Amino acid sequence: METTVNNELNQHVKGVSLWQDAWRRLRKNKMAMFGLYTIIFYAVISLSAPILPIYSYKQQVLGHQFLRPSFKPAGQLIYEKKSKFLHAMAAKEGRTELTAKENQELADLKESLATEKKKLLSGEEVLVNNRVYILGTDSLGRDLLSRIIYGGQVSIMIGLIGALASMLIGVVLGALSGYIGGRFDTLMMRFVDIMYSLPYILLVIIFMAIFGRNIANLFFALAIVSWLTVARVVRGQVLSLKNSEFIEAARSSGAGTARIVFRHLIPNTSGVIIVYTTLRVPAFIMLEAFLSFLGLGVQAPFASWGVLIQDGVYAMTTYPWLLWFPAAAMTLFLFSMNFLGDGLRDALDPQSKNKL
Amino acid sequence: MKKFLFAFLIVAVAFSAFANGGKENAAPAAASEPVVFNYNNGTEPQSLDPAEIQGVPEHNVYMSLFEGLVTYNPETLAAEPGLAKSWEVSDDGLTWTFHLRKANWSDGTPITAQTVVDSWLRFLSPETAAVYAYLPGMIIDGAADYNAGKTGPESVAIKAVDDYTFQFKLNGPAPYALGMLSHYAFAVVPLHVIEKFGSKWTRPENIVTNGPYKLVEWQPHDKIVMEKNPSYWDAASVKLDKLVFYPIEDENTALNMYKQGDLDWIETVPDAQLDSMKLDPTYHVNAAFITYYYEFNTTKAPFDNADVRKALSMSINRQELVDKVTRGGQFPAFGLTPPLANYPAVVAFKEDAAKAKELLAKAGYPNGQGFPKTTILYNTSEGHKKIAEYVQQKWKEVLNIDVTIENQEWATYLDNRQHQNFDVARAGWQGDYVDPNTFLTDLLYSTAGNNDGRYSNPEYDKLLDKAATMPDGKARMDVLRQAEEIAIGQDMAVIPFYYYTRSNWIDTNKWGGWYTNILDVHPFKNIYKK
Amino acid sequence: MSKYILRRALGLIPTMFIIVTICFFFIRVAPGGPFSSEKKLPPQILQNIQKKYNMDKPLMIQYVKYLTDVARGDLGPSYKYKDYDVNFFIKESLPKSMLLGALALLLAVILGIGTGMISSLRQNSFWDYLSMSVAVIGISVPLFVIAPVFMYIFAMKLQWLPVAGWLDDGGVKMLILPVVSLSAPYFATVARLSRASFLESLRSDYIRTAKAKGLKTSVIMFKHVLKGASLPVVSYLGPAFSGIITGSIVIEQIFRIPGLGRHFVQSAFNRDYTMIMGTVIVYSLILVIMNFLVDVLYGYLDPRISYK
Repeated sequence: METTVNNELNQHVKGVSLWQDAWRRLRKNKMAMFGLYTIIFYAVISLSAPILPIYSYKQQVLGHQFLRPSFKPAGQLIYEKKSKFLHAMAAKEGRTELTAKENQELADLKESLATEKKKLLSGEEVLVNNRVYILGTDSLGRDLLSRIIYGGQVSIMIGLIGALASMLIGVVLGALSGYIGGRFDTLMMRFVDIMYSLPYILLVIIFMAIFGRNIANLFFALAIVSWLTVARVVRGQVLSLKNSEFIEAARSSGAGTARIVFRHLIPNTSGVIIVYTTLRVPAFIMLEAFLSFLGLGVQAPFASWGVLIQDGVYAMTTYPWLLWFPAAAMTLFLFSMNFLGDGLRDALDPQSKNKL
Repeated sequence: MKKFLFAFLIVAVAFSAFANGGKENAAPAAASEPVVFNYNNGTEPQSLDPAEIQGVPEHNVYMSLFEGLVTYNPETLAAEPGLAKSWEVSDDGLTWTFHLRKANWSDGTPITAQTVVDSWLRFLSPETAAVYAYLPGMIIDGAADYNAGKTGPESVAIKAVDDYTFQFKLNGPAPYALGMLSHYAFAVVPLHVIEKFGSKWTRPENIVTNGPYKLVEWQPHDKIVMEKNPSYWDAASVKLDKLVFYPIEDENTALNMYKQGDLDWIETVPDAQLDSMKLDPTYHVNAAFITYYYEFNTTKAPFDNADVRKALSMSINRQELVDKVTRGGQFPAFGLTPPLANYPAVVAFKEDAAKAKELLAKAGYPNGQGFPKTTILYNTSEGHKKIAEYVQQKWKEVLNIDVTIENQEWATYLDNRQHQNFDVARAGWQGDYVDPNTFLTDLLYSTAGNNDGRYSNPEYDKLLDKAATMPDGKARMDVLRQAEEIAIGQDMAVIPFYYYTRSNWIDTNKWGGWYTNILDVHPFKNIYKK
Repeated sequence: MSKYILRRALGLIPTMFIIVTICFFFIRVAPGGPFSSEKKLPPQILQNIQKKYNMDKPLMIQYVKYLTDVARGDLGPSYKYKDYDVNFFIKESLPKSMLLGALALLLAVILGIGTGMISSLRQNSFWDYLSMSVAVIGISVPLFVIAPVFMYIFAMKLQWLPVAGWLDDGGVKMLILPVVSLSAPYFATVARLSRASFLESLRSDYIRTAKAKGLKTSVIMFKHVLKGASLPVVSYLGPAFSGIITGSIVIEQIFRIPGLGRHFVQSAFNRDYTMIMGTVIVYSLILVIMNFLVDVLYGYLDPRISYK
């Protein structure tokens, strides 16, 4: 669709389709593109988690608790820790050399570390001390890298499904409310007002107490409390579009309510919807993190970023990697989502089109 | 940019001005500083009225403000003279007579034997609806009937012989009766104040007390401030001028305050800080009269099969669990009752992975095949979660069965547990008094209210019935021991994991009069600054 | 104007009635009750307790009684903390939460608008990227991380500020860490919102006219742009307030502040029915009032809107 139009300053501009135009604008926005690439990276990692060469996120190795991040195998870290401890003890007693007994102890440890085998949950038997934990381990000796990746899966899924579900409910109800108007609209908006005035955290707690604590209910609980804003925004958009010429045209050509709403009104608000969804994803991830803080997060041994961070926050001084790595992973993702959302808004917002 | 900096400066200056203003208030002026003891009580007490309370934080407040007929020895927790200076028992062990000292409430009103009678009757009255009314109901003749509304107060076998002599009659032999009397279920309360102020009698402006401290300030969810009670009969031995209880639920905040010297005693630290705080010189650990165990819903297959229960229990490595997972010096448990001086721990079974597999196969699930979908239920807590995750992996490793673990918030968890809406549920039990009976009868007797797994074995019940009629002594302990062997060794009614320990962080070089003991009760009356 | 207020106030009554009704029945569907305890109560004792709190009566009678009590301003006794009633807890804790929230919002608005202004003037500069990145951290890091990290740095390591407590523990310096932590996410949002609206204003015709007339940038910024650009920030304050409540749950727990925030979560966990209802009523009322104030402020800032 190539047309030639003039903008309000009577400058000659080349017309392009909305989406091409948006993409062109988006590509110019460095931060948004950075966000987009990061999100693609996260998506690839999350989707390919089962085939990545990482350990199981729930495999506990009890000798390997609280190991620091390192490219060295676990056995070597344990050995170094012991050796350091013995040398420190010797220094305390004023010796520079270890006693024969202590040296023997070290040698024995090395030997046993090198040969210790363990049957993993997957059924294979491995030399367990050869495992390498590049991001360290948690309080049950589980690989933090793998927990962050699988936790990311859960968190991103919660963000996406939550945002999409709330979007779906919000768009449909908002569009209907705006289009039908009258009594229905009044009732609908009154209902939204009432839902707004309820503390959502209470609703979520009671909802999960009644229907049980699982991921599906978590999604649902989050969705039912968060479609309100979307509904309002979409209703506003629809109201302003309702009397526009193309809707008039559709109506006069005999299209029914449903058709007008779903074929004409909703697609025309899609820009707003896409931007809003993008910005809702981080909000949902944060909400899930908040619920984890209250002990209402996903069920163990699954983890989400929120759960990992909540577990790690008080390890800040003793085992800092348990806080910083999950927090960094989550922050970077939310960062990217926010910048992409902002970029999309700038790109899709017709208000700013061809201005300045 | 300038404007922005300006705005920032305004905010910064405003804050620093406030900060200085605050400091002046805080500076103490007195020459000899009063001795203040700051304690984290862990949570806000539900009430200060002894008839309304249950739980440890409430008990801590009770011990400081009130005193019953007897009180605790801080070291051994044996009954010591409190309001009663002496007592004697009739030959049949049923009638107890207490001689009261001439003590007053903090407003000067005397406490007489009639005060004790009225206080106990108030506690038992159905209108008071005291949770712990079943405790006197259990031992005092006629108390249960009055509490149930079946009879009037006159049927309760307690009386004031004269102004300073009080007497009650037991409904049967109860070797632990004297020790029970320091419990708040036997509190003495200021009825003249209760009459005057009704439900507002515990407010700081109204309350009068007879314990070592009096209440001067109570800001709910913030702090409870107590000061030495000068009219207390033993005021000479109370050395703290001021006692402050904080209801801090965030373990990390409490730990930080302890490190900064804002708190003098804390009992918990975040799990990730445990290893380093165990090296702290102020760390104390002691055995506690509490067992951590998993309950089976024995009304439901496959947990109605003792072989399945045994297989699940025998596959756990308890030593590894306490060394690597809980890390608090807990003791692996192979029985239900924690060890007592006259009742060493029962070792009812041995851990044995091979045997566990065999038993599971015998029950019809060779190599875990066909084992029904099973969920471990636990209430929200970092510690319970870790144990459940450990058990989940262990059962997979040893028995090749997949279980899920489910965390529910407290009220939901209790509701499901008490309605047998679970497969396997985490549980813990603290003995109410120092006797195996508080575990064996209260938890596993077929009709016991707390027998949530609905374990039932007539043989076991018979042995407990027999023990209930026996006088205290070795013979009775042997019968109880036999019962425990049946419930755990033969039937594995529950999976015992470990006997608790209690951690405390308090600088005993600075504070004296604080001792570790099995009930983890530390009377504040006796704490002093060295 | 007064007619408008009256209309809004009257509209409040049916809304509150519906909220109270929904909550009253909804919370009673949740498993467990205010008196469930681990050591199961003998049935006789449970019966005594239920009788004491009128819970042995049919639900409808309890509901009608509750409604009449609320109409008289009595929110009932707390089932969990038995020495005080719900009115007392709200009276004690609400001002603390309000002070905390108001200071945090104020700080967020001042710093956020300042940052947004700088960013918009130097669009796509290093400072723009830096301040927007800092702002995004504010909405990407959970409060339960920000607060302990601040506590660790400023109270434990540098020893500048007290660990935790409220005014009577050490004066106004007790407020600094909680207020700054709580304001972080709102600062971030305000900064982003105001940057966007400043940019839009700067591009608008009347600003271009002002520029063309040769007015100084600072005059333009403060006389013209600020007023117009603060509209989105003002309309954000309503929802921000409800978010502040959620944030204060975290902040009050970590910094040991006896505010209302903890009651939102704890009363639900405790099934303390009257306390739940009390917090819901207060929350809804405040939210409605806040939204109303925002509308008034909006009308003042935007002359296109008028209230009849």
